[in-house]
Amino acid sequence: MTSKKKDIVQVKNPKSDRYVKIDRSAGKIIAHKKSTGPYKDVPIARKRSK
Amino acid sequence: MIRYNPVDSDASTIPVKYLPRTCFIMCQLRKPEPDDQAEIRKRLGTFLAAMRFSEIDANSSLTGRDFLAKIWNMTFQVPIGIAIITRRTTRRSLANIFYELGLLQAYGKETLVIKSQDVRVPSDFVRTEYLEFGDDFEEGLKKFFDCVFSLQEHFDLMADQLRNDPLLAIDYLRRAFLITGEESYRAKARQLHEELRGVVRSANCVENLLVKF
Repeated sequence: MTSKKKDIVQVKNPKSDRYVKIDRSAGKIIAHKKSTGPYKDVPIARKRSK
Repeated sequence: MIRYNPVDSDASTIPVKYLPRTCFIMCQLRKPEPDDQAEIRKRLGTFLAAMRFSEIDANSSLTGRDFLAKIWNMTFQVPIGIAIITRRTTRRSLANIFYELGLLQAYGKETLVIKSQDVRVPSDFVRTEYLEFGDDFEEGLKKFFDCVFSLQEHFDLMADQLRNDPLLAIDYLRRAFLITGEESYRAKARQLHEELRGVVRSANCVENLLVKF
């Protein structure tokens, strides 16, 4: 059985100062970090330059 | 977003005329205006003008139609709601102000409560950002607006990451547009909408969640 590779990134919410984890392939927010600092081994999404 | 008209409970199909860079001010509108409120509004008005933000309140327009429907519509139009409460604000006005604050928060607007030093906010609002009126009032306002402006970039980034849930992505772009008034967000939303045709949607996209009631 083959499993689909997930495309997961994290973004820091400036209001809460906490990271949120996003599954880009599913188009959904999957977790909100309770403590400060980023999730381990999850790439941080950056704004693409225009 | 589906908006339910509080007057008749039907879903509204009337497009919203958005007012980017505009604050909806909630305060006592009944005369006589409390002196301390007048002073807060004066300094707030000067600050907003310097930030190139407009302000509206429930008396800003005369529709000749239902007053509640007018306020409900205004809460959709703006990115920010600012409430002013002082010791002299009447109970009746306080009830209206906190009802409107709730509406704004439910619709994802940024909110701020400005209060005089001798006022306590209700417990449901203790986590709402509030600012005490005093000498460093403008400094506090600046911090609040800095935070709001940082959200604009965040919303844009979130929209990029959530492209597979296009309705959610478009909603983030709409919120970024309201804060800045930048036309590029509108263009980006329209482009995303165009790309929707014939695209397979993610299992948890907004419309799929909506249909599972």
